Amino acid sequence: MRYCSKAAQEKRRGFIDPRTKLALVVIIALFVLGGIGGEQMEPVKTGLSALPFLLLLVERQWRRFLHGLLVLVLGYGLLLAMPYLPGVLNYIALMCGGILTRFVVTIVMGEYLIGTTSVSEFICAMEKLYMPSTITIPMSVMFRLFPTVAAEWRSIRRAMGMRGIRFGGTKAGQVVEYQMVPMMTSCVRIGEELSASALTRGLGAPVKRTNICRIGFRIQDHVLLLLCAAVIGVWILELCGVTLWWS
Amino acid sequence: MSFVYGSDNAATKHENSLRNVSLAVRDGEFVFLTGPSGCGKTTILRLINGLIPQFYPGTLSGEILINGKSVSDQELYDTAGLVGTVFQNPRSQFYNVDTTGELAFSCENRGLSEADIYKRIDETVADFHIKSLMDRNIFHLSDGEKQKIACASVSVAGSEIILLDEPSANLDYEATMALREMVIRWKQQGKTIVAAEHRIAYLWDLIDRAVILRDGQIVWELSGAEKDGLSISELLEMGLRSTVQEPPTDVLLPDFAYGDEPIVLQDFRFSYRGEKREIVSIDRLKLAAGEITAVTGANGAGKTSFLNCLCGLEKRCKGIMEYKEKIYGRKERQKICFMVMQDTGNQLFTESVLEEVLISSPKSAEDAEKKATELLRQLDLDAFLDRHPQSLSGGQKQRLAIACAIASGREMLLLDEPTSGLDYAHMMETAQLLKRVQAMGITLLVVTHDSELIHACCGRKIVLKRG
Repeated sequence: MRYCSKAAQEKRRGFIDPRTKLALVVIIALFVLGGIGGEQMEPVKTGLSALPFLLLLVERQWRRFLHGLLVLVLGYGLLLAMPYLPGVLNYIALMCGGILTRFVVTIVMGEYLIGTTSVSEFICAMEKLYMPSTITIPMSVMFRLFPTVAAEWRSIRRAMGMRGIRFGGTKAGQVVEYQMVPMMTSCVRIGEELSASALTRGLGAPVKRTNICRIGFRIQDHVLLLLCAAVIGVWILELCGVTLWWS
Repeated sequence: MSFVYGSDNAATKHENSLRNVSLAVRDGEFVFLTGPSGCGKTTILRLINGLIPQFYPGTLSGEILINGKSVSDQELYDTAGLVGTVFQNPRSQFYNVDTTGELAFSCENRGLSEADIYKRIDETVADFHIKSLMDRNIFHLSDGEKQKIACASVSVAGSEIILLDEPSANLDYEATMALREMVIRWKQQGKTIVAAEHRIAYLWDLIDRAVILRDGQIVWELSGAEKDGLSISELLEMGLRSTVQEPPTDVLLPDFAYGDEPIVLQDFRFSYRGEKREIVSIDRLKLAAGEITAVTGANGAGKTSFLNCLCGLEKRCKGIMEYKEKIYGRKERQKICFMVMQDTGNQLFTESVLEEVLISSPKSAEDAEKKATELLRQLDLDAFLDRHPQSLSGGQKQRLAIACAIASGREMLLLDEPTSGLDYAHMMETAQLLKRVQAMGITLLVVTHDSELIHACCGRKIVLKRG
């Protein structure tokens, strides 16, 4: 059968729009990670924390889901065990548990954004938000750069292992330096080759860019965006001193 | 249509600069640029696609014209519509993470209509038979597959002029032949093609004109009939690689000969995390100690993974090695094997060539510095003792890595594609070097697609198949 890119793009379309994903990242970062809001916000935050996990399940990102869940369980486990631990361990458990439970949700949401959005979709969404290309283009390169840098990093770590340079053996400061030198040279080289390639393919032309990806708000986006608005609404009401429920 | 280089003087780097080059390419012609490393092939391509002087600065005199318009005065995005380039490194020429987005990228940048882009993609996919590569993550493709996507994206853009900058450097025999098919397709479509390559065999019969450069100047220009009349000795004299495309699996060499001292590998198995298929699966394999063994096999046959396992870099590979009645597990193998990686730059860490060798030498030795200097002299690196390793050329980095291996007293040296992207003279230099290392009593394993290298120095050969 002949390949049909239009149908394939339609099939690939994500569950929610990249703009909705961005809005969720911001809201979760503010309320769950940043910890804005008082007592009244607690049940809202718990609800928000579950959201990225639900989304990962909908998009069938099993591995990310499990990883996130595992760390979260570990965090809550530590918090639950904390009162029974003696002295210093108590503080360590509190600290680790607190950090894990706060950070993990936001990181999982960020992972969801990066993992389920293609570069094309991201650029398209940013254009619809009227972001200037001077911001959009460097940000879109990020999608590409993370896996590249990770691959280089692994390769360098391997090379060091093979040459018998390890932490613990020689001076630790020197080992870090050994890692950074080839890392920086290869990142600069790759960055340069990447830009050269993108430029010969007309990136930055002063025309309106087309995007073949399918994005746009659907019912699920409206629901989630309303939810974001509601969270902000509850927070403002709380700031105004309105009591909505007792916790 | 013509490109005219009138007395060019693009000095990006001294070694790659061009002097007084004039070249006119006709519409629909296939021009092939070749010559030793640093002769200026890539510089010519960069002048045509406008990267020089727009991206790589330098002093340029003379002009480059496409259809009568000067490329150097034109914005890069205007040139982009006319000229498409396939680069050498498959890892660093993609902007997108998914293949479909990559194919659409240049058309999207030009603001073509969605329907038009879909139509172009579908046509190209059918043309190049790459349906199986669509909607995939580019990071999960092999180098050969990545290069196919790079070619396809030039096709989707519909550029009339196609530049190939050593596209086959990282490709195996099959992938190179697939690349050849793509070039044949472009020729049928009447595209103008300018290719810069060391490996000439896979394109030699397709080209209309061969241009041979040396030190930034055109030394020979051969038309179709003239190049076919060349004898092998004449080709060698020009410093060219063989024009016969021979699959490395066809080179006849024993895997193990009577009288060789055996190194026995047992139960080497490895699969990528989360994948069931074993990429390395060896029950029992005998290697000849003290010989140079070529390791061949298609892209994705697990050659590099095999080397990683042998070096003890893969924790999940439980294989053992038996040599001189001693059993070597993973940790022990780490101490006797040394691998020269494809990206040699990633395994050099220090600030000077001498220091690099010293961190590999046993610490107790008193005269370590003297010995290291002596070793570097043997490998013709004594002129660079204080140079930063990252500033060396590719071949010099390779020699330095080998010096580190010898200094650390390892008995096995593994090399991953040591001659990809090398011209004939440099390839022969590497072959000689490997023979010298062999003479020091070291066992060598060389992963390679390069039949000429195998002929030049290898004594044994093993073929790896998928799984």
